Amino acid sequence: MKKLALIVLFLCAAASAQETHDPLATFFLGRIRYSQNDGNDCGGVGQDLIRLVSRASTVKVQQEKKVRLTDPELFETPFVFMNGHNDFVLTEAELEVLRKYLEHGGFFFASGCCTNPNFPKAWRREFSRLFPNEPVKPLPYDHLIYRSFYSISRLRSMHENREILLEGIIHNGNLVAVLCEEGLCCSFSMNNKCNDGKGVSPDDGQKLALNIAVYALTH
Amino acid sequence: MLAGGLVATAVLITLAVRRLRGSGISRTRLGILYGLRAVAMAGLVLLLARPIWVTRERPDGQRRPAVVLIDRSESMSLPDRDQTRYQRSLDFARDHLLPALKSADLPVQAMLFADDATAADGPKLADAKPDGPRSNLGGAIARAMTTVSPSPLAVIMLTDGAANERTENSRALSGLIEARAPFIAVGFGNDVGVQTISLRRVDAPPVAAPRTEFAVAAQLEVVNATDIPEFDLILYRDGKFAQKKTVTAGKGSRFWMESFRVNESQVGAHDYSIQAIVPALPNVKSVSTMGYASVRIAEEKELRVLYVQGALTWDYKFVNLTLKDDPSIKLTGLTRTSKQSVFRQNVESSGELLNGFPSTIEEIAPFRVIVLSNLKPIDLSPAQQDLLARFCGELGGGVLMLGGALTFDASWQGSRLEQLLPVVFASSQGVLGLDRPFRMRLTEDALQHPVFQIADRESPQKVWADVPPFTQYGRVDSAKAGAQIWAVHPQDQGPTGPRILMAGQRYGAGISSVLCIQNFWRWRLAKDSDPARFDRFWRQLFRYLSESSRQDVMIHVADQDLHPQSDIRITLEQQPNPKNIGNKAQQFTLRVENPQKKMVHEQKMDLAPGRPVETRFRASAAGLYTATVKDSREQPVATRTIEIRDVNIELQNTARDMETLRQWAAVSGGLALKVEDCRDAGEIVAAIKKKVQEAQRNREIQKPFGMNGWTLGLLLGCLSAEWLLRKRWGLT
Repeated sequence: MKKLALIVLFLCAAASAQETHDPLATFFLGRIRYSQNDGNDCGGVGQDLIRLVSRASTVKVQQEKKVRLTDPELFETPFVFMNGHNDFVLTEAELEVLRKYLEHGGFFFASGCCTNPNFPKAWRREFSRLFPNEPVKPLPYDHLIYRSFYSISRLRSMHENREILLEGIIHNGNLVAVLCEEGLCCSFSMNNKCNDGKGVSPDDGQKLALNIAVYALTH
Repeated sequence: MLAGGLVATAVLITLAVRRLRGSGISRTRLGILYGLRAVAMAGLVLLLARPIWVTRERPDGQRRPAVVLIDRSESMSLPDRDQTRYQRSLDFARDHLLPALKSADLPVQAMLFADDATAADGPKLADAKPDGPRSNLGGAIARAMTTVSPSPLAVIMLTDGAANERTENSRALSGLIEARAPFIAVGFGNDVGVQTISLRRVDAPPVAAPRTEFAVAAQLEVVNATDIPEFDLILYRDGKFAQKKTVTAGKGSRFWMESFRVNESQVGAHDYSIQAIVPALPNVKSVSTMGYASVRIAEEKELRVLYVQGALTWDYKFVNLTLKDDPSIKLTGLTRTSKQSVFRQNVESSGELLNGFPSTIEEIAPFRVIVLSNLKPIDLSPAQQDLLARFCGELGGGVLMLGGALTFDASWQGSRLEQLLPVVFASSQGVLGLDRPFRMRLTEDALQHPVFQIADRESPQKVWADVPPFTQYGRVDSAKAGAQIWAVHPQDQGPTGPRILMAGQRYGAGISSVLCIQNFWRWRLAKDSDPARFDRFWRQLFRYLSESSRQDVMIHVADQDLHPQSDIRITLEQQPNPKNIGNKAQQFTLRVENPQKKMVHEQKMDLAPGRPVETRFRASAAGLYTATVKDSREQPVATRTIEIRDVNIELQNTARDMETLRQWAAVSGGLALKVEDCRDAGEIVAAIKKKVQEAQRNREIQKPFGMNGWTLGLLLGCLSAEWLLRKRWGLT
């Protein structure tokens, strides 16, 4: 019994240490909780993105924190990540907050999980409601986001004979939100296991994810 | 007085005793009562007489130091054999005097003096320049007597004795006599006054457009000249001969300007130097004959800002976002991504900044503002810090050090960069942990400053009160003299007042500034903030920091005498501007402020490229006048300081004045020697010791006698006892 209590205590301590935020850290990553999604799909994706940024920069990175779009903490987190498998709908209140967040300089990075088409479809629909006449649209390869750190000339789909393009919202000339439909989070975080051999290759996925993070840090 | 009082007391007591002798009181009681009265009255007389107790001084345990005062006034810059007087006095102190004092086991406190005196250690003595505007011998002695503790055993002065300030002489004299400290002087220089020719400085605009004429001018000064022959001035460009002109012969004393007209066809940066070739004449000395100035030749379509980061930060992203829609400001990023690599953004060519932070003046010249963020001293070599200082001081660039986890770190203390910035770094380890949320508080200076006017309809007080709170800031200790504090912490107190969060200062031709708040971007992202205000603040700050190097209008000071009570001629010429199609005339306003910042001249004028306009203003007093040209929107487009000088008082009387030094020595029991007579410093030290002993042998210590609690107690005790006894014995 004593041993069990010690183990429980140790696990609690480890968990709390995991959540400790370094106040000097620069890369603030928020993980979006939305609808029924608690921000746990592809659980390690936030940590893996942080690790990627650490690899490319001397910047001190902070642990991810989970936020809802209506939480005040959203406006202290300049970079947020959202992923999922399923359809979702944003409320008017959430859209209003999101609009303000993006106008104030926040950056939104979204990825469908496991190349499930329901999430990207919902994301396009909901995010196109944000700004009139500024719908979600593909980002061509001459966009800076493909060269912000690594130079990426083309992205090939692993299971289809086609090229993969990021999609995004350009508001007042600034790219404020980016989506990768092809299970990007699974390819840079889960070694593409759950993508089942589809979508972006792990190598391209890591480069692309880092490019997105560096772009957000510099634009 | 004491004797008289005691006699009077004795007489009064005797008379009283005689009067009461027949009243039936026993002789014993009478004796006791009048004895007590006599003692009390004698004590009273003693106190009224204020007697002084005189003793001889005993050698105390605390060792008193010998103060060595070294003269750094400008007359000490005159040549003395193959050195300057100052250098010779330093050598004498280092090689002879200080070792001799040390071997005699005398503690030493060194001080430098000119118009004021300050304590100095070895490095400070070596770094100091003999350029003090006045020689205040009395003030230096007084300062030594009042600031050194315990009081000095002796004051030793290394000087030419050519004093030109005498207001504190009596205070100094009192201090020496009071402390019985002998004044010992060693005189440097020549006993005959000299005529001097000095090239005081070289002026040039920090930035000029290609194919446009500008002036590189030398400020020259001649003092006491009875007959100065003509001499040559040589202009060098990047170390190579460029032009020569001859200055006509003259007499008397004058301070004036001689300039060369220069025209460059290519963009780049050039070092110009002017040398005065003064003929070797007996009794004519050249104090300095060379001066330098750097000029950036640039075709400026936009204001370029170089943002240097030790690591990627969100501040850079938000600043970039701010400037994105401003076509007149271009941000270039240089970020260290690992120990070996840097990340460049928005460079003009593939080779620009390829090796990281600029290492030459040509590489740094295209930028008008440099932002340093999240950097450690190791990220910038001393040579790069020197370059940064030249960029700011000579090219008129702006430097901003921005809060980052590593930026405000104690390891920056004493660095070249710290010399450049408007603040002194704290000894703590920069930004530590998460501070309690705070709102920055703007100072009155900032609320009046154009950079901080970020809303058109609301008062700056209200607008800045609405800025959201921050959570972290780097600690700095204090602002430097001449710096302007813009924002402070509302609660945290530093060593000299509220902790500084933002400050700026003029540094040479440019401006340096600090913003100590970490994660300043929070302002823009905050839910209730107005991003437009954040954007406007940054744009205005960058424009202000680059203002010194903006030369949309060139202000040229004509070759003329620059002395008080004269009309000073200046020429204004608009520089070619790509936005001014057809080079049309535009309206500008010239304002000139005197050294007290009062406007002495205001004039509206139309200026066009290639059509210089001459004007003049009256300089009624000596000092730095500032000419500023503003465009029709009241934005400053050019500024220039013009120095008006009286004849240099330091160089008017340059002969060694042993007579003054001997007088000081005579009244304090010291001695005054010419340096050439001091063959053995041991002899001086022996003489110092002898003089000190003589001064102390007869030193008397005077203390008030009887002014203490015991005397007062005795007095009251006697009177009380007398009163009680009378009551007990039934006497009225």
